Amino acid sequence: MADVSQLSTSLRRGTLEFCVLALVETEDRYGNEIVRRLGEEPNLAAGEGTIYPLLSRLRRSGWLESKWVESPSGPPRRYYGLTLDGRSALDHFRTEWVSFRHTVDRLVGTGEAV
Amino acid sequence: MKTQQNDVVAEYLRELDQRLAGIPVLQRRELLADLEAHIAAERAERHVSGEGELIEILERLGSPEVVAAAAHEEAGTVFRHPAPPRRRLWPWLVGAGALLVVFAFCAFALFFARVDSSEVPAPGPAVTAPVPEPQPTS
Repeated sequence: MADVSQLSTSLRRGTLEFCVLALVETEDRYGNEIVRRLGEEPNLAAGEGTIYPLLSRLRRSGWLESKWVESPSGPPRRYYGLTLDGRSALDHFRTEWVSFRHTVDRLVGTGEAV
Repeated sequence: MKTQQNDVVAEYLRELDQRLAGIPVLQRRELLADLEAHIAAERAERHVSGEGELIEILERLGSPEVVAAAAHEEAGTVFRHPAPPRRRLWPWLVGAGALLVVFAFCAFALFFARVDSSEVPAPGPAVTAPVPEPQPTS
């Protein structure tokens, strides 16, 4: 069992951040929305709270920008949006991921039968 | 009821903060502020009234250990217990010193008691070197 969770941790590392970037690709979202959306996926987030350190790193590395916005109901919300650097990082990931996935599928035998 | 709920949140954030030692202060404060905003927004949007629902929000966030581990991984730091061991050494040194003083006093008293009762000079004269010092004070 420990090995199973170890595997998903390893797979998540390096891919989760691009899922985050993709979530804010078309429109800005606030922290709760992003975190909730990822939390719904069973093999993505270990806990909603673990996404916030990731958002912080993506912001500091210049792929995300954030701004606090007053909310009509409740406390101020921190909205995240994609920067130009973030957009090109996401585009780059998409091309890399497709060829990476094909390679793994071919070697591991998980691809569609040729 | 309200204050009791705030206690749960405050306790959660405090436990998390304790595990963030080693992470740069601004990143630490940012994370705590983000989580505080997250909890406040969840409470407002879900109209949370009871402590049970609040605990559910905190459980979805993950335990302080899990969140702190993610924060350390992102920051490239390692959790270290903040209490330095040097501080713990002092009481022992003081205790040992006090014990030494007590021993010295006992030896001193014993020596004098023997001298008084037998009125015979001590067999080891060199041992008496520290003895004359305390006499003028008494």
